[in-house]
Amino acid sequence: MGARVAQVSLFAVALIIGVLLVGQLRSQARPLELSSLSAQELSALIETLAARNVELRDGLADLRDQIGDYERAGVQGQSDLVISEEVLRGISGFGGLVAVQGQGIRMEAEGSFDPVAVNDLIQELRNAGAEAIAVDEIRITGRSVAVLGTSAIEIDGVPIGPSFEVSAIGSPDGLQAAIERPGGILQLFEQSIDARFTLTQVAQLRLPATERDLTPTAARAVE
Amino acid sequence: MSRRLPARSRVPSSRWAVTIAAALGIIGFVGAAQWNSSLGRQEFITSAQRVLVSEAQQEQRQQEQLRAEIEAAEIRIREFQEAATGSQAARDRLNEALIAARLKTGLVGISGPGMVLEIADSERQVPVGESATNYIVLVDDLRDIVTALWAAGAEGITISGGLTEGPPPERLVATSSIYGAGAAILVNAVPLSPPFRIEAVGPEGLHDRFHGRPSFIGRVAQRIEAYGLQFASEARDEVTLPAFIGNTRMRWGAPVPVND
Repeated sequence: MGARVAQVSLFAVALIIGVLLVGQLRSQARPLELSSLSAQELSALIETLAARNVELRDGLADLRDQIGDYERAGVQGQSDLVISEEVLRGISGFGGLVAVQGQGIRMEAEGSFDPVAVNDLIQELRNAGAEAIAVDEIRITGRSVAVLGTSAIEIDGVPIGPSFEVSAIGSPDGLQAAIERPGGILQLFEQSIDARFTLTQVAQLRLPATERDLTPTAARAVE
Repeated sequence: MSRRLPARSRVPSSRWAVTIAAALGIIGFVGAAQWNSSLGRQEFITSAQRVLVSEAQQEQRQQEQLRAEIEAAEIRIREFQEAATGSQAARDRLNEALIAARLKTGLVGISGPGMVLEIADSERQVPVGESATNYIVLVDDLRDIVTALWAAGAEGITISGGLTEGPPPERLVATSSIYGAGAAILVNAVPLSPPFRIEAVGPEGLHDRFHGRPSFIGRVAQRIEAYGLQFASEARDEVTLPAFIGNTRMRWGAPVPVND
């Protein structure tokens, strides 16, 4: 009888340990739920999402304006090819196919940059809301990345020197604040790779079109 | 008259006591650790964060709604363009230019040969004294993979996250950022969670070229090896990627006028 009770007790204890261990191991996995992020992380996330939603609202308003233009052109019997040409210019500017101009920042950078650092700088500017970016005279498109070429860092096959210039169109204050923030990318590079930056806000920047042919050779459009 | 227990039975009894004490000790340790990291405990600690969680969820819902409306508006605009008035030749020329521009900039879905890869957090137990962040997929891993894919000749890339019912794949375009906000990784400002699935369309041999790129070998491949990040990739004859859905309007700039 005593032996049976002991067996049952041992089984119960082993079961409890098993359940607790599984729970413990699971709780060591990366927190994925919003509820598991810290207040600071949540604030950063909300800020990013809110900024993105403002951009999306602006974009949607622009698309609705275009629809309105097409509808009015139909009613007034005008050619809507002019509107389509405007849409084409907008798409081409967004994707780097034509030159663009506007407000933003210009940054002279010098230091022991490697391709990863250059790519991180571009990513940081994109995240800060840059609408168009150029490194020296190389327009950054969706497919542009810095890689180690034969003798220097190259972007789209064009070498950049140990000192280079980065231009970005976007909110001058927003871009500057994001990349100059304490603990931000400029501070990190100043400390880690002894980089030096001179940043200025510019009222009228002009970024060239990409010289790279982005026509795909393998991909075909699907609707 | 008291009855003495046989000497033999006293020995097992003390063994049992030691065993049960050890078991209870383990239960206590594991229970305490579990309590410290349990959701209930977190919710208790972070009750003040509920407002922030709710706000973040609201922003995410708004984002989904806005993206759906943008997608519908873009379809409507394309319908107008295809039915545009004016000379047939001019309309055809313009529509071809629009299709080509959308194809070059990621604003249309594409299909072609390519590759698929998945990367997820390590399942290894984090050794005592070692940083747990070594064992999870970091924003740098995704950036390095994307860099290696573009450098290997990819013509289009998407990133998606989560096992099921996650957000749709995010197509990478000129303004796309891959960014870390705490434990979350945001692609095009959409929070994604592991496992991350990256799909790319590109010329034949993309998969082999990708595995030979320094951007992949230099850091990610070493982390996969050292920390057991889960990784799998394969070449595919056909991969289909959706178009980028989001804002393409410039707020702070504009295309330079043609005659400038």
